[in-house]
Amino acid sequence: MSEPESPAPAPRPRHHVRSRLMRESLLDREVERSTEGPVFRMLPQAHVLKIGGRSILDAGREVVYPVVAALASCLERWKLILGTGGGVRTRHVFSIGIDLGLPTGVLAQLAAADALGNAHILGTLLAPYGVVAIPPEIFGHLLPLFVHSAPGVVFSSVPPYSLWEHPPGLGRIPPHRTDAGAFLLAECFGCKSLTLVKDVDGLYDADPKLEPAARFIPRIGLAELRRRGLATLPFEPVLLDLLANARLLDRFQLINGRHPERIQAALAGEHVGTIVHRDA
Amino acid sequence: MREPDAKIAGDAGDDDGEGALLSELGQALVEGSLSDAELLARTGLPAPFHILPQANVVKVGGQSFIDRGRAAVFPLIDEIVANLGRHQMILGTGAGTRARHAYSVGLDLGMPTGVLSVLGTFVSMQNARMLSYLLAKHGIPFIEPAQFAQLPLYLAERGAVIFFGMPPYVYWQQNPAIGRGRIPPHRTDTGAYLVSEVLGTRAMIYVKDVEGLYTADPKKDKHARLIPRATVAELAAMDLRDMVVERAVLELMANASIRRSVQVINGLVPGNLTRALDGEPVGTVITAD
Repeated sequence: MSEPESPAPAPRPRHHVRSRLMRESLLDREVERSTEGPVFRMLPQAHVLKIGGRSILDAGREVVYPVVAALASCLERWKLILGTGGGVRTRHVFSIGIDLGLPTGVLAQLAAADALGNAHILGTLLAPYGVVAIPPEIFGHLLPLFVHSAPGVVFSSVPPYSLWEHPPGLGRIPPHRTDAGAFLLAECFGCKSLTLVKDVDGLYDADPKLEPAARFIPRIGLAELRRRGLATLPFEPVLLDLLANARLLDRFQLINGRHPERIQAALAGEHVGTIVHRDA
Repeated sequence: MREPDAKIAGDAGDDDGEGALLSELGQALVEGSLSDAELLARTGLPAPFHILPQANVVKVGGQSFIDRGRAAVFPLIDEIVANLGRHQMILGTGAGTRARHAYSVGLDLGMPTGVLSVLGTFVSMQNARMLSYLLAKHGIPFIEPAQFAQLPLYLAERGAVIFFGMPPYVYWQQNPAIGRGRIPPHRTDTGAYLVSEVLGTRAMIYVKDVEGLYTADPKKDKHARLIPRATVAELAAMDLRDMVVERAVLELMANASIRRSVQVINGLVPGNLTRALDGEPVGTVITAD
């Protein structure tokens, strides 16, 4: 403080710990590249499904009960990790929060409550099968234990970004919502598949709810999907970046939960919706 | 049961204004697609509220600073204490040498990026705890992400608070791009930056052991030159092999609503932190515009 112009004291040798990254800048591109390598799969037998909020869980008993029945039958054959969306309540809290001038990170923090509520709803309906909603604080660390001890688990699919959510390029809506939370979980734990269960048959070249002539796209790669620049997507656009950077997942499938038999078919590896895949 | 939306959104359709529960934007958000660019653009307004406009986020480097031990840390602690009452400080910590060791071990064993993120969090937490004991007699607490709701109280009462710099992404940490390895791309520089952005603070200061950003690593290249001021676009054009802050900070700053500049200073030089807190352009200032 007294001598702001004085030169830095001679750097004392730091107490290094011997490792291959010792003394290296982790921001050096060559160092970054050197850390590529094979990734261990923690839960290769488990399937991740994201159950839509607005599209399924907000749609009432006549939609939800058949989906629950389909999931229950799947639990006899597969280990399921079930993420839930936040649905209409999240859209509502976004609109109030934006009106109040709250930033993206606060909107992300608020959204976690709605998906967690939906997780408890789905967990209640699946309780007879031994499947319950797990609190987010312990979900990640204990997931392998739950998957081995129970036929499945339910979690709030909001990733724990909260105040640390990234400001989006456009507007203020948090870009990493429940599709991203399910994707990142499936990728980190090396799960067998990711299926998004919504209320459309898959991807169309326009929104089929607004455009009756919209054409169905059964399968598409990332480069082609980006090239088309569709005005809207039936999943979070950030999934395109996450899939491009994935080391373990090479695709996800979007299916229509209003045809609940497609859930079992998708888990069996059948093509019953739109498959979005990495480019070779 | 067919349309639960109607319970929330229905009144807004009445058009009489009086009974409307949602704004026009609210109605569009409830019914529309959140991937619709036209709708997303409308969510940028009104401009975001600055939650803690008088506070400063200060990130203390791990390998660059705390790992140097007492010789580096004690004078900085003195300078932080001298600024209590002058400037509010939200102090984040880096990870450093032990994170490098944990990453090395983890990479060899095939740990995914999300697990490496958990390991890095533990190390930055150790550093936050150590700083918090050195500042404890001034009543300055260490808070974890779950305690951020209390942060404004601590800041108002004590003038500073300590957090660990890693963003709490843990298993949900994103992979680097293919070819960029497996070390978490969003580490303590990014976590501290995002705190400054979401809370709308007046400054984001990185305390490191170099004067700022150089044209090359000054620890390895004698011809490296200091860059006192640069924009994100200029840095992208320079395509530097190394960088003084995580590249993710630059990417996020380009999209930020509030925190559109960051400052890197040499904390080994006494007075630099005070000058930066006072708003002087010491070190390197990187701006979005």
